[in-house]
Amino acid sequence: MTPLQFESLYQAEWAELERLLDRVFERQRIETGAAEFDPISGARVAALYRRACEQLALARARSYPAYIVDRLERLTSDGHQVIYREHDFGVARIRSMLTTDFPRAVRQQKWYVAAAAALFLLPTVVVGLIVYWHPELILSVVSPDTAAQFEQMYSPSAESIGRVREASTDWMMFGFYIRNNIGVAFQCFAGGLFAGLGSLFFLFYNGAYGGAIAGYLTERGMSSTFYSFVATHAAFELTAIVLSGAAGLRIGHALLAPGRRTRREALVEATRDSAVILYGVAAMLLVAAGIEAFWSSARWLAPAVKYSAAAACWIAVLAYLTLQGRRAA
Amino acid sequence: MELRPAGICARSCAFLIDGIIRLAAIYAVGMATAFLGGFGMAFWIIFIFGMEWFYPVVFELRTAAATPGKRVFGLRVVMDNGLPVTAAASVTRNLLRAADFLPFGYGFALVSMLLRRDCKRLGDIAAATMVVHQPQTESRVGLDWVEPIVPAMALTPEDQAALIALAARAPRLTKERLDELAALAAVVSGDAGRSGRDVTRRVLGVANWALGRR
Repeated sequence: MTPLQFESLYQAEWAELERLLDRVFERQRIETGAAEFDPISGARVAALYRRACEQLALARARSYPAYIVDRLERLTSDGHQVIYREHDFGVARIRSMLTTDFPRAVRQQKWYVAAAAALFLLPTVVVGLIVYWHPELILSVVSPDTAAQFEQMYSPSAESIGRVREASTDWMMFGFYIRNNIGVAFQCFAGGLFAGLGSLFFLFYNGAYGGAIAGYLTERGMSSTFYSFVATHAAFELTAIVLSGAAGLRIGHALLAPGRRTRREALVEATRDSAVILYGVAAMLLVAAGIEAFWSSARWLAPAVKYSAAAACWIAVLAYLTLQGRRAA
Repeated sequence: MELRPAGICARSCAFLIDGIIRLAAIYAVGMATAFLGGFGMAFWIIFIFGMEWFYPVVFELRTAAATPGKRVFGLRVVMDNGLPVTAAASVTRNLLRAADFLPFGYGFALVSMLLRRDCKRLGDIAAATMVVHQPQTESRVGLDWVEPIVPAMALTPEDQAALIALAARAPRLTKERLDELAALAAVVSGDAGRSGRDVTRRVLGVANWALGRR
């Protein structure tokens, strides 16, 4: 069969597949006939795609001219993208993510989570105690202005707790917390790519920073405003930071000690497993931002109420991560 | 399936266009929400957050698998094995931008892209994704009509392909160069060892025959 015969024999099929794919990809076409509004038949696309694959193989084997091979290559490549696309971003997927996938993924990596928690909490406690005993050391962590700002934010006379300016509204802070905290969590994860050192640093830094502020404010006698502010949303926020750090450590570990796979395979697998955890982390931080903006800062709630809510949240979060999704198949 | 990795230049240009689109969108939403007070402010900040991290994800998970900037340059994101990019891969490759961005101005990304044959940045390596050129349809080569000539010898498929490729390139070559090249193939029309305008015409005639003209 000569190239021209081949082309004229299958021309019509290629044109039809091209038309269908152009519509799927929403590419601009000049001619628009009535047929363009028919629904696209998946079975037809699949059938034409399979035939185009066969014809591509033939055209290559017979060394047909480049323009024929190129056309078939483009058809099959586009068809391949359309046919093998995943289509499960629906509500059911989100539900299974929250009810089973996320807590299971966390439990699967419990050693990384434990390591991340230790890396985060140790500096918090140590730096917190040091600053509590020697409050002047706060100045080696933050500038005098910032220290004064924190004092003002958590002073018992502040109109709403945890705010620099009285003008900023709950809603605005909600947006700010989302952008800031989720950004920190993502960085904490991405830092894992540098042999885990980035995650290590972010965990340590955030832990030490929080510890320093807590130690300082406690020493200044603002413990009741400060702890009642942080206790509730910390259940979600600190846990989420630790989890994203754990995901980062997992990646770093895969790079350092890939085991029997190549470094790259190990890295790809670790990254793929981390995605579920990151979805969960983002969701937890959304909740944390809501609590921090609307509940924690509220002046009119008695500390006792906040502490009970905080206890409930901590129990709920830990129970969720340890128990949820154990039985379901 | 052939994948042609996109080079640093095409990707940077695409990134620049996306950057302009993002800035414009952030600015426009900022103007629109300025009158809504604290709530508008919150919406705006969350919008900026979404633009920072999830702008590429949203576009990569659509059918075209490319941000508007990438579409302009005919690029698309696929998995290493050519499959469409998955949600998990798209999310992780874009979150790892935070690592690619370091130490400044996408430094690690640039170094990694320059060092690797498949031009991946760190996020691409970890997520097993790749940015590739979409295959472009070459415009149909119309071989100039030359009186078809039956070849003087049996031609293998490779010979036929080479002749057709030569004939397709004919309009883009100088006359002299075409004569030289045709002289190399002159054996097919029984003109071995000769060259000249007539030999060239006969060789192209054989190419026309090989393409299927009779």
